[in-house]
Amino acid sequence: MPAAIELKGVTKNFGMAEIIRGVDLAIPQGERHAIIGPNGAGKSTLFNLVTGKYELTSGEIRLNGETISGLQPFEINRRGLSRSFQITNIFHNMTVFENVRCGLLWSMGYKYSFWTPVNTQKKLRARAEELLEQINLADRRNVVAGVLTYAEQRALEIAITIAGGASVIMLDEPTAGMSRSETSAMVDLIRTVTEGKTLVVVEHDLGVVFDLADKISVLVYGEIIESGLPDAVRASDRVQEAYLGTTHEIEH
Amino acid sequence: MSTVAPSEAARKGPVNWALLLPWLAAIVFLAVMPLIFASNSALTIMNQMAITIVFALAYNMLLGQGGMLSFGHAVYMGLGGFFCVHLMGYVENYEWQIPTPILPIFGGLFGLIFAIVIGLFSTRRAGTVFAMISLGVGELVAACSLIVVAFFGGEEGVSGDRTMGPTVFGFDFAQKIEVYYLTAIWLVISALAMFFFSRTPVGRLANAVRDNPERAEFVGYSARFVRYYSFCASGFFAGIAGGLFAINFEILTEENLNLVTSGSVLLVTFLGGIGFFVGPIIGAIVFTLLQTVMSLYTDIWQLYLGGLFVLTVMFFPRGLAGLLFMHWRPHQLGKLGTLVVPYARMFVPGAVMILGFAGFLETAFHARHAAQGNEVMKLFKFEFLQYDSHSALPWILFVAMMVAGAYGCRRLAPGLKAAWDEANTARSA
Repeated sequence: MPAAIELKGVTKNFGMAEIIRGVDLAIPQGERHAIIGPNGAGKSTLFNLVTGKYELTSGEIRLNGETISGLQPFEINRRGLSRSFQITNIFHNMTVFENVRCGLLWSMGYKYSFWTPVNTQKKLRARAEELLEQINLADRRNVVAGVLTYAEQRALEIAITIAGGASVIMLDEPTAGMSRSETSAMVDLIRTVTEGKTLVVVEHDLGVVFDLADKISVLVYGEIIESGLPDAVRASDRVQEAYLGTTHEIEH
Repeated sequence: MSTVAPSEAARKGPVNWALLLPWLAAIVFLAVMPLIFASNSALTIMNQMAITIVFALAYNMLLGQGGMLSFGHAVYMGLGGFFCVHLMGYVENYEWQIPTPILPIFGGLFGLIFAIVIGLFSTRRAGTVFAMISLGVGELVAACSLIVVAFFGGEEGVSGDRTMGPTVFGFDFAQKIEVYYLTAIWLVISALAMFFFSRTPVGRLANAVRDNPERAEFVGYSARFVRYYSFCASGFFAGIAGGLFAINFEILTEENLNLVTSGSVLLVTFLGGIGFFVGPIIGAIVFTLLQTVMSLYTDIWQLYLGGLFVLTVMFFPRGLAGLLFMHWRPHQLGKLGTLVVPYARMFVPGAVMILGFAGFLETAFHARHAAQGNEVMKLFKFEFLQYDSHSALPWILFVAMMVAGAYGCRRLAPGLKAAWDEANTARSA
């Protein structure tokens, strides 16, 4: 089976600045993979390269064995990769229910239809309700998404992200700015909804990372300096030095 | 107090009455209006209104639904209209068998064809880029209308005769009333179609792309394609409005596709409220009424319209429809009645201030622009409001009205705000 995501010699320059400097990474199907690294290491840039928001300077990215570098974000999404954003990215002026429904439309085959009335589609509706139940927002279904609390908006974004049934889910700092209890609820949610899927997550909260990830890659100055099982990564001197600037034990 | 929205409650029945009733009411309303206002001038105003409604609804598919600010949408209405006038000419001269009632569909198709071509490059980006391209295309087509005389007829435009087509059920559309019903039927069809469009996957995604194009791309949709669809649909319905215009007025000129017309549809739509489907309808009705009625009484009606627009944008960015829907919550709480008295109280100084201001402007306009020696003016053309615009008394009076009105408004404003807050609070709280 081909890897879910495979990066080969990926580089990205912004003008003269080399942000990503040759990343090789293969994430097998079904793995929960976390990417960590200090601020400015290029984690979000790497995300944006994989999801088609930025163009590669060189290298190749494959999704389930198929080259996706050079494709538009919506084309990559249709091939089974979905993502969330570091800054909450939802449809602010639409209701919670409609947000989730929009996430479903393409994958349920509606495409650019301008003749199907969406409100009468029973299956579509049922699936949207199901997702709302899953993220505990069923009773907020008719609320305009922009007025939800921050944690609720993050949960909604997760629902939009997984709605299309993508096999590879990429989450960019899903618990950033959350309280401890909100974070643990979010981790549980992520674990449930990505069951059986490939998950790639960028996260600052190392507690979340070690809790959630099967494998961890450490990105420093655009290069992956370590990739492996959580325990191995935690034990690595290189990681400790690069990531914390000291050799103290990484806090769990 | 139930918090379930009516549409939600109604959806459970076999027929969604909350959705159906406004449409039925509108149809009945359209049917009986000419029985109440039967004069030819009233019919003309109502036709004008209906055409503006179709055009503004089409425009709002871009602005409100799709988040695309166009400064050149008159192009599609105008081109549709010109095409229809030419078709009328062919019907007259070559006996083409096109019945007048179906002419608007050809106007729509012509608008659509141009939208398909222009949208290809203009919808690549939303925001400023789209707005600038629309402005450029608008200017370009308006300039062409004076250059390509064969199609646009130069300065005098192109005229036709709607009565030359084959009669339909014995109607030849020589009567204004026949044209009214023809326009009304097209209004209902187009409004229904546009409403329906907003509830299809592409219609929903138009909203999504407006809110957040990046997110829309990551649910599998090309933001550009979604914009393109909305743009084409909008061009089609604008073309229908053009066809209706052609049937009603039997003449199209450069005025129908220039930037002034493009600007006024933006004004109409914004005035009514871009966030609501009924917004453009309300805007078109109010705008047409103000335009036709005010122009009977004053020469500077455009100034008032401009003032109204600025005030709306500043104080009620959600437009007149937004203003109406603000009252939904007090209504739900059963407290709408408590607002009547504060409103009535506010109305008095408000009206005094506005009238004072209008009087001041009218007098200034007369004093400055009336012919030499013609110093007696009739305010708002009323015989009993005659006075000398060069004497001091009216000026003093109007300034006094403005000051007194403004003072009154200021005094009453806190009370109104308190009443408003009270009306929006549940009783138990």
